[in-house]
Amino acid sequence: MEIPYEVTPRRDTGLYNAKLGVWLFLASEVMLFGGLFSAYVFLRMGVQPGVDNPWPWGVSVHKNFVWLGAINTIVLIASSVGVVFAWVALKERNWRRYQIYMYFVVACAVIFMCIKSVEYNSKLTKHHGIKLVDNSVMEGVIKDKTDQVRFSGDKLTFSLQGAVPAVLSDFTDESFPAFKVTEGPEELVGNEIKSASEFKSWFAKGRRLAFEKLTEERKRYRGELASGKGNPTPVSVSSSVTLVSSAPFAVSGNPRKLIGHNETTMNYRDAVRVEGKLVSDDVMFEVHEVDLQLVVPTKQPESIVWSVINDKEAKKHFFDLKEKKYNELIAYYEKHGGVVPEAQLRGRYLNVQYVHVAAEGHGEEHGEAKHGEVHASEPKESAGGGESEGHHGPSRVIQVPRDQIKFMSNHGPRYGTYYAIYFTMTALHGLHVVGGALVLLFFAVFGKKLYLKNPEHLANRVEVGGLFWHFVDLIWIFLFPIMYLL
Amino acid sequence: MSAATAHEHSEAHGHDHHEHHDPFWKKYIFSTDHKVIGIQYGFTALLFLAFGFFLMMVMRWSIAYPDRAVPLLADWPWFQAWLDDEGKVTGDLYNMFGAMHGTIMVFLGIVPLAFGAFGNYVTPLQIGAPDMAFPRLNMASYWLYLLGGVLMFVSFFLPSGAAKAGWTNYSPLATTTDLHYGSLFWTGQTQWLVAMALLISSSLLGAVNFICTIINLRCKGMTWMRLPFFVWAMLVTGFLLLLAFPPLEVAAIMQLMDRLAGTSFFVPTGLNVSGMSFDAAGGGSPLLYQHLFWFLAHPEVYVLILPAIAIVAEIIPCNTRKPLWGYKTMVYAVMVLGFLAFIVWAHHMYITGMGPAVSTFFQTTTVLISVPSVILITSLLISMWGGSIRFNVPMLFATAFIPMFGIGGLTGLPLAFSLPDLHLHDTYYVIGHFHYVVAPGTIFALFAGIYHWYPKITGRMMSSRLGHLHFWPSLLFMNGIFAPMFFQGMSGFHRRAFDGGKAYEQISSQIFAEPNSFLANLAEMFHVIDADAPLRMIDLNLVTSGSAWLLAIFQVPFIVNLFISVFVGKKINRDNPWDATTLEWATPTPPPHGNFATEPVAYRGPYEYSVPGAPRDFTPQFETDPGLVAGAEHNSEPEEDLAVSHH
Amino acid sequence: MADASHDLSKTKKSYAAVGIALLVFTVVTVTIGLAPIFDMGPPGPDAMDFVLGLSVAAVKASLVALIFMHLNHEKGLIYKILLFTFLFFLGLMILTIFADTDPILEQFETLKTTRGWLMDKPR
Repeated sequence: MEIPYEVTPRRDTGLYNAKLGVWLFLASEVMLFGGLFSAYVFLRMGVQPGVDNPWPWGVSVHKNFVWLGAINTIVLIASSVGVVFAWVALKERNWRRYQIYMYFVVACAVIFMCIKSVEYNSKLTKHHGIKLVDNSVMEGVIKDKTDQVRFSGDKLTFSLQGAVPAVLSDFTDESFPAFKVTEGPEELVGNEIKSASEFKSWFAKGRRLAFEKLTEERKRYRGELASGKGNPTPVSVSSSVTLVSSAPFAVSGNPRKLIGHNETTMNYRDAVRVEGKLVSDDVMFEVHEVDLQLVVPTKQPESIVWSVINDKEAKKHFFDLKEKKYNELIAYYEKHGGVVPEAQLRGRYLNVQYVHVAAEGHGEEHGEAKHGEVHASEPKESAGGGESEGHHGPSRVIQVPRDQIKFMSNHGPRYGTYYAIYFTMTALHGLHVVGGALVLLFFAVFGKKLYLKNPEHLANRVEVGGLFWHFVDLIWIFLFPIMYLL
Repeated sequence: MSAATAHEHSEAHGHDHHEHHDPFWKKYIFSTDHKVIGIQYGFTALLFLAFGFFLMMVMRWSIAYPDRAVPLLADWPWFQAWLDDEGKVTGDLYNMFGAMHGTIMVFLGIVPLAFGAFGNYVTPLQIGAPDMAFPRLNMASYWLYLLGGVLMFVSFFLPSGAAKAGWTNYSPLATTTDLHYGSLFWTGQTQWLVAMALLISSSLLGAVNFICTIINLRCKGMTWMRLPFFVWAMLVTGFLLLLAFPPLEVAAIMQLMDRLAGTSFFVPTGLNVSGMSFDAAGGGSPLLYQHLFWFLAHPEVYVLILPAIAIVAEIIPCNTRKPLWGYKTMVYAVMVLGFLAFIVWAHHMYITGMGPAVSTFFQTTTVLISVPSVILITSLLISMWGGSIRFNVPMLFATAFIPMFGIGGLTGLPLAFSLPDLHLHDTYYVIGHFHYVVAPGTIFALFAGIYHWYPKITGRMMSSRLGHLHFWPSLLFMNGIFAPMFFQGMSGFHRRAFDGGKAYEQISSQIFAEPNSFLANLAEMFHVIDADAPLRMIDLNLVTSGSAWLLAIFQVPFIVNLFISVFVGKKINRDNPWDATTLEWATPTPPPHGNFATEPVAYRGPYEYSVPGAPRDFTPQFETDPGLVAGAEHNSEPEEDLAVSHH
Repeated sequence: MADASHDLSKTKKSYAAVGIALLVFTVVTVTIGLAPIFDMGPPGPDAMDFVLGLSVAAVKASLVALIFMHLNHEKGLIYKILLFTFLFFLGLMILTIFADTDPILEQFETLKTTRGWLMDKPR
């Protein structure tokens, strides 16, 4: 059996099957990315000034990565050209040149993904933000994973129903403490658990036990109920167990898994309680920028961020810079006739400034004018040039009390809707790049057999793979300006 | 040349070529033959339909008898975790079953049966193609679908149970459900999203394959206006799936990000969950989810209904021995329907507080879309006018489809207008409305299709006696289930009340029929109420639930029929047992891999029944007969037939 | 189609030309985003940036689609499919915005929600 129009196009439609198939697939891809672009517009339009996190301006987020984005655009364009030349080479029956072009395309894809991972890595590990309870925001770096709650525990209480406790993943393997069961179903009391894997199998056993007891109890209850003897004793099965460790164990609680902690206990979202002693829950933070966009201008000088930073010079620097820019704005709008729009007054330009918290003993020596100019968060000028904070004297890491923190995160997808859509779209696009590159690589490496048999068939395949590849390029052509520039 | 000789030839060939070379697993399990894949789709979908039906029966117990323990199930180990101490259904279980009933019925039951099974089996045959355009892709679609289905099924056995936030999975409820489990990935809510992503991918691949097959693989002479209506409907359905599913995939990806990566796509600023501030950046929009979801889910309704109409449109002309009335009109109507299906989605969202201008737009488009729907149904109805109708089992189901779908469609009108919708939203009225469209509507059409094409697939007829035993009670009990819902809905019964509205004192005292009236006496006869008591709205729960269980019992004849007839059904003695005209009847029975014994040619339109002057009352598309008036002129210029008709 | 070697060399030239045009347009896009000359106001994107940036992107996209993806050689069928796709894409883009900004509700100042950058005019 042979499927017609696999290689030669059908006369009335002018298409061979694969080409039609890929165009249809691309139509659905248009709707896929269309949905995401529409989400982008929806979320960006939906930002309520003063309530939601402001939508950052691409350049202000990416700073020197704008150039990497531009290089990526060029890389993708080059690869697109490569694909069409590979196709032409096949049409000219030049296998060697075809292969060279295809390898060039795959190399471009690899370069693209490498640049992307540099970007991702920087956002995920080198940039953090902390939103304080009055909505003032500090941007910088969280030091030494201090966003985790450091706790020294000796007792663990949880239920045997449900899933394996999340606390398990917060122990490191070598530091797993030896536990002894002190309370719980009598069959389990006295059990000893020495490693994480042992814990898992023990938990499964316990869960089965608790479940069997519950079934039995219910059978009794229903039986008594059916026999009609007044009020039967209600079902009561305790599935709660307590584990005590021989020596205090260190555990760092992931704040996303916790629902609360105090000096002696730490409560996990899945109802696991760790008892012991709190070591520290302060966040050590290296401040780079202060963002007061969500604070009303008149309230900004009293904002909590200043008591957290507690450096008069830094605060003065912030407001000096703001005033300078404000005057520039006034001058600009006077020249062009008009008032400064409210969006400008409340926006990033005036309300986000670089601050340098000098190490003890350094604060006085640095004149304000000296580094104010360079550090200022002036996106237009600084956008392209790399902002290196290194050569301004040592910067003091400040201590942020946890009860002042409303929200904290790295500049990953959690950090706001912009970051969410940025990561989702670029990651999905990246998946397309990887998928497309693999297919093209396959054609380049294993295409020889088909080439010798039916070169036109291979040319068709490359054309169709190329269609997908150009589409991936086309998506990036739109992603680059809306994510990096505008 | 007779089809029978061709048949013998190809059977001899078939034995030579396939049975010896292909091992069992390649021929029946990892098969690339569209017919085997169609049957695989069919059986899997029927299994899921049965499972979805089972979920519904448990829910109906909780609604009818909220105070009593569930019979039979209370001792099953799995139910221990979800029933309460007395063995009654808990709210969690009801929510889980409700969400999964919807999901399974729509995405794992009806769409795969209608589009996957019938589409796969019949479409290539009707256009005279040897197989789908991409047979291996076809196999991949099935396996992706199966994987998604298995994942949905397995999610019941996770500690968190399956998804509980309704089949619509609205955020932020769906985002914040089950967050207290250690591993968020292995919660039912997350697995729902993962499984949906797989199902969507499967549907997308399937849609690409179908459209490509229909456009490029039509046989010689099969011009656009000679395509059977079934193929047209499949083409439009394919486009609906192709273009409407990606936005849902986007929504699923974004909700997955919200759950796993902590993003705030659908999480508004300042969200509190059980009294605690939700730890997310905020700034997202729950409304965005609804837009993306309904952008798919409304066209999805037409994905459910178009194949049904298509099947009925094949069965009615065949059994009335008359051409399909208004074939061209129906083709254009189905295209308009497909187009309009994309711009009505927000009528599901009137109560989200959309402004009057927007809701006016969507009310208008919603009313507009009823025009092509009515054209389709009216054409089917008129097709029967004056015909000498053979009321065999497929025709019974097809005939019943029309009024049932009609009731479903007409009761949709009040929901199309924002004002009545404010009252009816999320009540049993809505449930009644769309179930009339999908259950006695689509499912009847699917039954009709199974009875109709069964002889082609197996070479034997299904038992007519058992078919009647299946049809009449099904018709009765389908109405018994869904008709009371309209009355309950209008008096305000909410669809998500797991105790069937018991909590609403005010509602439960509403009277449906006065004491000693006809309906009350009838209800008393069936022990629904006591003598001299009024029939209250809440008593209708028993009518509905009772009908549902009886409906389940009367599916047994069908199941028996389906399996037994393979072995003991009456053997058919020719390839075209119904004297039908379309190309699938030109193949040997059952069709071998590669379908046709000789390359088929379409000489005329698809529904040439009772052509004046013709020797028989049907003139098949595939038979060349110079004595006939119709189609004679086409024979001389077969080349021209290949040109695309512009429309 | 392009069987003759003459045709192929012509095709190659057009591919190279399009590649160069795309590179030039990329430079233009970056300039629009970064250089102050195109800015209508002080730092931050403004309406003109969007119009220019997206128009350039649209030109680039159509070059890729027409030349690289051979749309200029295709028959009507694909255009029909793409036309419908584009219409629904537009629906997806416009109606989500439309659903958020109702022209009738806009008349009532009290109900009007404050909107971000695109709607802001100097008061």
